[in-house]
Formats: sequence, C-alpha cells, structure tokens
Amino acid sequence: MIGIAVVSHSPRLAQAAVDLALEMVGDGGPAIAIAAGAGEGVTGTDAFKVAEAITEVSSPEGVLVMMDLGSAVMSAEMALEFLADSEVPVKLTSAPFVEGLMAAVVRAAGGASLDDVEREARGALHAKRTHLDDDEQPEPSFDVGPVAEHAMEVTLRNPHGLHARPVSMLVKAISAFEATVTVANIRSGGPPVPANSPTALLGVGARQGDTISIAAAGRQAREALEAVGELVRGGFGEVETTPPPGTASEQSAARPDARPSKEALSSGPLGVSPGLAVGPIVRMPDQLEEPVDAPELSEQERSEAVGRIEAASAFVAGALMDKAGRVSGPAAREILEATALMATDPGLIGDACARVTDKGQTPERAVWAAVGDIAVVFREHGGLLAARVADLHDVRNRIVAELLGRPAPGLPDRTEPYVLVARDLAPADTALIDPAVCRAIVTVEGGPTSHTAILARALGLPAVVAARHALEIRAGSVVIVDGTTGVIVVDPTDEQVVQAEQESSRVTMFDGTGRTKDGQRVQLLANVASPDSVAEAIKAKAEGVGLFRTEFCFLDQEEAPGIEEQVRAYRRVFAAFPGRKVIIRTLDAGADKPLAFVSEVNEVNPALGIRGYRTAWRRPELLDTQLQAIAMAAAAETADVGVMAPMIATVEESIAFAARCFEHGLRSVGVMIETPAAAITAGDILQTVDFASLGTNDLAQYTMAADRLMGELALLNDPWQPAVLRMIREVSRAGIATGKPVGVCGEAAADPLLAAILVGLGVTSLSMSPRALGGVAKLLSSVTAQQCRDAAASVVAASSSSMARAAAVALLAPGQLA
Amino acid sequence: MTNETISVDQLSGWLTRFNDLVTEQVSYLTELDSAIGDADHGSNMTRGMSAVVEKIQASPAGTVDELFTGAGMTLVTSVGGASGPLYGTFFLRIGATAGPVGTLDAPGLASALRAGLGGVVARGKAEVGDKTMFDVLAPALDAFDAALAGSSDIPSAARAAYSAAQTGRDATQALLARKGRASYLGERSIGHIDPGAASTSLLFQALAETLGKE
Repeated sequence: MIGIAVVSHSPRLAQAAVDLALEMVGDGGPAIAIAAGAGEGVTGTDAFKVAEAITEVSSPEGVLVMMDLGSAVMSAEMALEFLADSEVPVKLTSAPFVEGLMAAVVRAAGGASLDDVEREARGALHAKRTHLDDDEQPEPSFDVGPVAEHAMEVTLRNPHGLHARPVSMLVKAISAFEATVTVANIRSGGPPVPANSPTALLGVGARQGDTISIAAAGRQAREALEAVGELVRGGFGEVETTPPPGTASEQSAARPDARPSKEALSSGPLGVSPGLAVGPIVRMPDQLEEPVDAPELSEQERSEAVGRIEAASAFVAGALMDKAGRVSGPAAREILEATALMATDPGLIGDACARVTDKGQTPERAVWAAVGDIAVVFREHGGLLAARVADLHDVRNRIVAELLGRPAPGLPDRTEPYVLVARDLAPADTALIDPAVCRAIVTVEGGPTSHTAILARALGLPAVVAARHALEIRAGSVVIVDGTTGVIVVDPTDEQVVQAEQESSRVTMFDGTGRTKDGQRVQLLANVASPDSVAEAIKAKAEGVGLFRTEFCFLDQEEAPGIEEQVRAYRRVFAAFPGRKVIIRTLDAGADKPLAFVSEVNEVNPALGIRGYRTAWRRPELLDTQLQAIAMAAAAETADVGVMAPMIATVEESIAFAARCFEHGLRSVGVMIETPAAAITAGDILQTVDFASLGTNDLAQYTMAADRLMGELALLNDPWQPAVLRMIREVSRAGIATGKPVGVCGEAAADPLLAAILVGLGVTSLSMSPRALGGVAKLLSSVTAQQCRDAAASVVAASSSSMARAAAVALLAPGQLA
Repeated sequence: MTNETISVDQLSGWLTRFNDLVTEQVSYLTELDSAIGDADHGSNMTRGMSAVVEKIQASPAGTVDELFTGAGMTLVTSVGGASGPLYGTFFLRIGATAGPVGTLDAPGLASALRAGLGGVVARGKAEVGDKTMFDVLAPALDAFDAALAGSSDIPSAARAAYSAAQTGRDATQALLARKGRASYLGERSIGHIDPGAASTSLLFQALAETLGKE
C-alpha cells in the first residue's frame, strides 16, 4: 500500500483533515504522516519535516504528498531534493487538500497504485462540482491567449498524425514568430489548445486524415500560420511529396485506404538501430525455392547438362575461395574454404551428374536432390556433422542459383558502400555483414528485438525493420535511412544528403561515469559476447560488463570445451576489467541458439523448450564445469565477478542455482528475469540471490506471446508495450523492497529514452552494446532522476506503446527528435 | 575585474548585518506584508536570520559552503513561510557552488550568487514582473556583474547591486502580484511594495555596508 504525507501550515488543520479521512476506512488505512508547522508554534512548513514524513511512510509502492498552499508546495519540492537518492517513487499532487486527502486515503486503502491514487485525489472535487452545477470545465483547460485573427484548416497527411516528432517540429516552428497559435481537432470536436505546448498538442489526438483548425493572433500571425501550414502539407517530412517514378516511398506504407485495424498492427517502418546513413540500395537475393519437376531431358541434353553442373560447381568453389582470401578472421576463412571444398565434392557432384545421366533430371533438380540425400546422412550422424547442414544448403543454393542464372544467394559481394535491403536476414547472413561497406540495413520483416536489430546495434549500423514496401524501391536508388525514426527517403536532394552525412559523422562519447543531470549514479555497462569484443567495451569506457555471454566457447563445438579452455577465455575478459564489475552468464543455449549437445533438434516450440538454465537439467555436469571454470578464473583476476543464470522461471530454480554457485565458492549470484513467471515472483526470487538482471528481449517476447523473429509482430514485440513496462516495474519494485540491485541487459537499455524510463522505474544499472553507451549516457545526463521517475509513471500508465513512447519524448526529450 | 577576494568572515559579517537590518525593519516588513499578505514576513525573517546568526556565533564557519549551507538549512526549518524555502534555497545553492573554500574571488562570488538566483527561480517559478523577490534579486545581480565587468572592485559592485535593488524594490509597487498569497488579491495588490522584494533589498544593503566598512 502507498503511504501518504500530509503537508500543511497548521498542525491542527492537518490533524483534523487526516481524522476526517480516516473515518472513511477504519483500521485498514494507509500509513499517514503529517508535516505541519515550522518550529514551536510557528504557522508554516519545514522542508526537513516533509522529508521526514515522506521517509516515515515510504513503501516500495510509493508515497503521495498532499499539500495545502504556498510554502507547503515549495517545502515539499525541496524535500524531494533532499530525498533525491531514495528509490521510492514520490508524487506531489495538486489535489484539493481535504477532499483529495479523503479520496486518496480511500483509494490507497484499497491497494491502488500511486498513479491511480493521485488521479483519484486530483479529481476529488468532481462530486462537489456536480452537486453545485459547477462543472463547466471538467477537462483541463488551457489559456489559449487572445482571439485569433487568422485561421485555416488543413488535413494531416503524415502516417501517424500529431505524434511526438511532428509536435516538436510544430512547437519549434511557431516559436520563431511573434504570434499566439492554437490547434483544434475538428474530428474530435475538442477545444483549441496552445500550439506552444507539446503535451497539449499530443492530447489533441489528431491522426492521419484528420482536419485540424489552426488559428493565430499577434503581429506575425499570418507568417506563423503559413509555416505551420507548410509543415502539415509537407507531412512533417514523413511523406514523400513527389515520389519519383519507379520508386516506392516507405512513407506511403500507411495509405489512407488501409483499414484501421490492419494499420494498427503494421503501422509503418520501425527504426531499431539509431543513426543516419546514405547509400545506394542493394537487394539481398530472395531465397531459392525447390526446383519443380520437369520433363525428362533427352539423351543429347543430358551430356550438356552434366557439363553445366560441373561448370557451376567449379564457379561456386572459385567464388568461395576468392571470398575466403578476402575475409579477415581465420575462423571465417576456414569456414569458407571448407564450404568451397564441399562445392566440388566428387561424391556430391557425381551423384548429381548420375541423376541427370540416368534419370534425365534437370541439373538444378539433380543438385537439389543430391544435397538432400547427403543432408539426411549428416543429420543422422548428429554432432558436428549435423551442424554442417546449413553450409551444405548454402552450397546447394549457390550452385542452383548459378545454374538458373540468378544472383548468388546471401549477402551481396560488394566493395563499395551500400544500403542492404532484404525480406529478412538469417543470423548467418547478419553475422557476415561488413560495416565498412554495408551502411544501413532495411528489412521487410523483423522486429525491434530480432537478430537484425541486435546485430545492427552492435555494429552501430542504422537499421529499419518492418518496412513493408522496401522491396519496391528500385535497386540502385540512393536512400537516406534514419534508424531512429524509421524514415527512409528515396532519391533525396543533394542538400538532404549533405545534411544526413554531416549528422551521421557526429559521434557521442561516454565519459565513463553514468549519471543523471542531478548526479544520481546509474552504472553503464557493456554487453560482451567474446574475449575479442572486450577491446570495444574498453574503448567505449564501459564501467564494467553487465552481460558476458559465454556461448562463444560452445558454438561450433561437438562437445563442451574443457575446464582449462574455459578458464583461459573467461580470464581474458575478467583481466580487462580489474577491480570492476563483470557479470558472467552461464550457457544460454536453445531456441534461436541451438547447440547440438544440449538442444533437442525437433522441439515443436523451441522458444518454450529446453533452453537457458533448463539445459542444465539434461547436462548438469556442463553447468558444474562452467561454474568451476568461472570460480577459478575469478580467483585469478581482480574483477568483481557476478554469475547469473538465464531463463529462470521458478524460485526453486533460483535456489538450486545459488546453491550450486556457493558450492563452487562463487559469492555474487544472480538470475536473469526473462519470463513473466520470474517477473511476477521477483520478490521471492530476489530473496534467494544477490541481484537480478532483466533480459527485456525475451521478457517482451514471453509477456506479449509474440515471436521475436516475426516482423509482423514487431509492434507487439516492443519493450515500450505497457504490459512489458509493468513487468519491469514489478521487478524494480521487488529490487527496491529487498534492497537488491536490478539491472537491465536487454536491448531496451540501449534505447536512450527507454533507458531513462528504466532508471525512473528503479533500475540501478544498464548494460548494452558498447556503441550505445554514448547516446544513453548523453540522454541520462540531460534529465534529473525525478524527471525519469515522473516519465516512468506516465509511461507505465500509457494505454499503448506509441502513447508510452510519445509521453517519454514529451517529458524527457521534447524537441530532440525534430 | 580585480584580484581581491572576500573571506568567509566577511561573508559571515554579511549575514549578521542582514539579521540586524531585518530586525531593525521588522515592523516595516510586517506592515508591507499586512497590506498584501499574512503579516508575518517581518517576524518570519527575524526569527530565521536570528537563528542563523546564533548558529554562526556558536560555531563560526570555516568555509563558504559550510556557512551558507548552515544558513540555508536553518532558514528552511525556522522561517515557516515561503521565504524559508526561497531564501533557504538561495543560500544552499550559494554554498554548493562556492564549495569548501575559505575565500571567494569576484567571479567566484558572482557565480555563486547567480546560482542562488537560479535556485530561487527553480523553487518559486517566478518571472520578471510577478512582484516577488526575483524583481530585486535579478536586477541587483545584473548590476553586480556589470560593475565587475567594468573593473570595479567587489565593494563598489556591491554598492551598484544595492542601488539596483532599491530601484527594483520600489518598482514592485506598481506591479500586479502573480505569485504567493498576494496574488489572491489581484488588482488590489497594486500600489504596495512587495515585502519579499523589500527584504531582498536589505540583503544587498547588508552586503554593501559590510564590505564598505573595510
């Protein structure tokens, strides 16, 4: 239950109001503390007393502060500054003192949240107003200034209407003029609101197709109107005004004729990795379909067909060897060389040729079938051989593509910069992207937490997913990709290109100490996927490592690596952060990261199967070996090592994991909160371990029941979804209640706005791709802890993910997205 | 600009002199406040500042932040009315900006006072012409900075600030109150000097007089 602090000039007034309110609830009321009077018998308020009162009734659910007038408000605000280090959410309310207190006590006794209690208190005059026929303005009303001299009506063209970005553009545009401007939505019939207030404008709820009425008064009223009109007609830069023939603009994705329900799910491209890039479009070739059965070849055709297979296989092998000579890492080179050998494998090619000679199959069909047979054998062998099936299919696709005269599947082989456009990218493709030539990624499918998004953020490449019309853009067209807003400009003007290039060359650096504007510390840590990526984390001045993934040790292995090998690998990372925090995660295999020796190959629902900590059920000795290796590596280095388990769902698992860590002498033990089950029971789980780390990618996937890899579900699979944010809030509250740190190591931490919201919810550390540190640190240092808390409260209460994001923009970064 | 400095003892003297002035003028301040407020500004300021001076005498401050943090905290707990958090924030910010130093040079003093003004604005959300202490504090600090920029020494700059403060104080008479309890009076607040503006003018009088003596 929340606590209530009552601030008044007069102790007698406060006591009487409290007595009156408590009559309503009897014994079960909330904790109430009074801060009234200043010193002996002095009428007034004292900020210290207010701070004491808040502390006295503080609970993890928060404290509502009711105030009478004047200095009470200032003293309460000052008290919040004294309590800036506290994690407890505190809200000052403008509610009427007596009625509001009564409403608040009643709602709080019923267990309502701080936000709900506050809203109720603020609306407490409603009954009195209605009784006295005095409710002329129940809606918040705005001072809209002098009577308008000029007015016009315009229709909104941009896909999402007056959302955060257009609103900040509008506010900025009118600020240049000596004029008072108001905006009203004709569809909704709402009252005009001042156009210099971003929150008021967002409240207008104007959507695409709505006609809004704009009115202006003042010396430059006409000029201001013209400027606004131009913005609206230009779709706030989100609509291509004149798409060049033969090109498709992404902004037309949300056409007026689209049905609203459809639009809600598929509304437009999503920026998932910030940054701006310019370049010509190169399309990722589509996947090959299995060749259809064709009539038998004639005898003459057969010998010619055999020749074509041999030529194609030699060509593909040559191309692969060529590529092997150009890649940098030895691992990648070896893989390519091995694949090249497969392409000319006499067994494989011989079998394919025999199918042509003996059965008269077409060359493409023969190659397809020959590979199919070998793949079955590979799979039956299991282990390493089974893992090579993907390479076998790669070879098949390349040869068949060559036979059909189509471009080689897989990433375009280019040395000049380009923007990659694909239907979707497989993890194997994304892993090969070279950020030196690939400037940005645009996919038709994919969501904010898909591989594409994660990899793009790790590489620092701007990326836009769910761009449904991307494949209609003519190959070779130059585009500007804005990975922050999701906007793609096709065939931009020279001026736009220059501007985008200037913008993209600006880099934000992190100074190594994460904090809010008012100095509240927030540890900013790096996610590290292998010892090789440590250098980047150090360069980005990460304060430590919040997620050290250990899968690299196990990938491409037939069996788990030995203890010495693991110790060596872990020590390399620990040694890079002497005396600093490094949180290492035990093996997280399964689902989209299958490993032959722990994963079931044919799970119907791999995301709900044997994955994460569950693999230890099958192979408990693997976990023990790993924990032992971690303990030995930690003992040999000075890093402050914490160890955590992925995919915990129950308190029992958490207890069992902690016990095993203790057996190995590991003293700082945590778990990842990635399942709704763990989030809801976080309070109990945290009693059994030292810390928790929120994996927001999986938490979003499981909370929303939406596959991370499906583009169509991108909007559901969004950490801004209020349901996901409330899950996170539960966990932060549990952290505050138990005094255990709660961090976030999912992609949510890399989104600067969302990072600030997470801080506002009570998260104590954020771990992300090293490249994201600068942007997150910058935004955090521009907002106070109180702003974060206020924004978090609004965002959690939002009715949709877009409202949540809009509220965050309005409260934390007004104007920044313009 | 000059190379001279102002010591923590001189700054303590400033606060002591401010206490003397509000005590001398207690009935004047109360009279102003009874016209447009709740008639307690004189007694509130006297109570607060005498508590501050008592504290200074009991344990003299060694550094500037100790002096002003102590003064700010004391005002917050002892004044009661809006002047508590307002003057309290003013002094707390001065202390925090100056830091643990024994003396301040002219730019140091100027930036500490500026930070104090920022605190008052953040706390009271007052703007120019709202008929508040801001209407004295802001022009006084502008004059102080301008004087320093024109190579005046600190005592001359303080005199310039006091002069601007008096002008600012008198100008509040014609204003319509938009903050605090006086704002409930609407038009009727016109024709009276704002009591907070008056006490702020005394603050600069105290500074000018303290530095002028030496």
